[in-house]
Amino acid sequence: MSLRKHLMSDVEVARFIVSGYHIIRPRFPKGFNESIAQQLDGLESNPGDAISDVVTELNAVIGNSKVRGVLVSLLGEDYEVIAHRHWHCKLPGSRYMHWHQDSTNRRDLRINQFLGLYYPREVTPDMGPTVIVPGTQYRNAPTDRMATYTNIRGQVPLVVKAGTVAFTHYDIWHGTAANRSPKKRHMIKFLFRRKSDNTRPTWNHDPELLNQPRDWNNRDKAQDVGNILTFSNPLGVSQSDHYKERVIRRQAWEHLMGKAR
Amino acid sequence: MQKQRLLYLQVRSPSVFSDIIGFTPIEPTEGYQAEIQVNVEDWPYESVHQALTDGWRIIQFPHLQAPIDDRDLDVVGYEFIMEKWEEYP
Repeated sequence: MSLRKHLMSDVEVARFIVSGYHIIRPRFPKGFNESIAQQLDGLESNPGDAISDVVTELNAVIGNSKVRGVLVSLLGEDYEVIAHRHWHCKLPGSRYMHWHQDSTNRRDLRINQFLGLYYPREVTPDMGPTVIVPGTQYRNAPTDRMATYTNIRGQVPLVVKAGTVAFTHYDIWHGTAANRSPKKRHMIKFLFRRKSDNTRPTWNHDPELLNQPRDWNNRDKAQDVGNILTFSNPLGVSQSDHYKERVIRRQAWEHLMGKAR
Repeated sequence: MQKQRLLYLQVRSPSVFSDIIGFTPIEPTEGYQAEIQVNVEDWPYESVHQALTDGWRIIQFPHLQAPIDDRDLDVVGYEFIMEKWEEYP
């Protein structure tokens, strides 16, 4: 089957650049998600990177056409699936996890690396969903500096149906709510990386959509690349920060378009 | 007995009139935890000024040593720390 129909649109790519996440619900065979969730329920220790050797169906998640469509769109046709992956099990009764960025403070302002978070079981609000803050992915903040933040305007809890895959920018601020349900909340984290810079757009690109005039009257409702990159302000930050964001977004877009070397 | 309540407010700009982006309330009770919520139904105030009118006092103003580099973005907003002394059992 052609991958083309699963590629992202210009608007979806622009929104990923701005907000730092993109959510899909791939179609899996009947019982697929339930089987994985049950196997995870039964694990007594965390196999770390070997989780997909223990629960082998997980390999079908990253091989799914809809998943591959996103990966090609944002990382190019020769994207790399990193061997590192991790099973995050949020146990019943476990407390919230504070905001953090993964790894150390060497951030990449281009779209060269991101995560795929697969949820084999439905996540209800009381199950300790992952919570992300759209727009924070270009902010380089040591986790200690986030210690006095709790609720942030625009934060998005990933309350999702079984089988959902959420692609999140590697540097987006994230945490979890507490799990007050009797169920285990499972998430498998995959890591994807770009191997080569684009020489052209690798998504369903329509050059005509790039030439829309700036619409100052509908800034929050932008439906085209130029206006989305220019006006979106998911955090509601100040003008000076917002101007910096615009520059970063435009550079990330040009890089994906194959124009920035 | 009077105890100190704390309220961290992360605000759009250093002005006390600007919009609140984030908040963390700290209550002086045993076992209290401020935690990330799935549904934040009640934002306590729209601005620092609104908190002032409700009796909160500012005990720390935001640090303003913003990076000069025009590309760097770090933490979100500017942080005010507020306090209120109230009777607690």
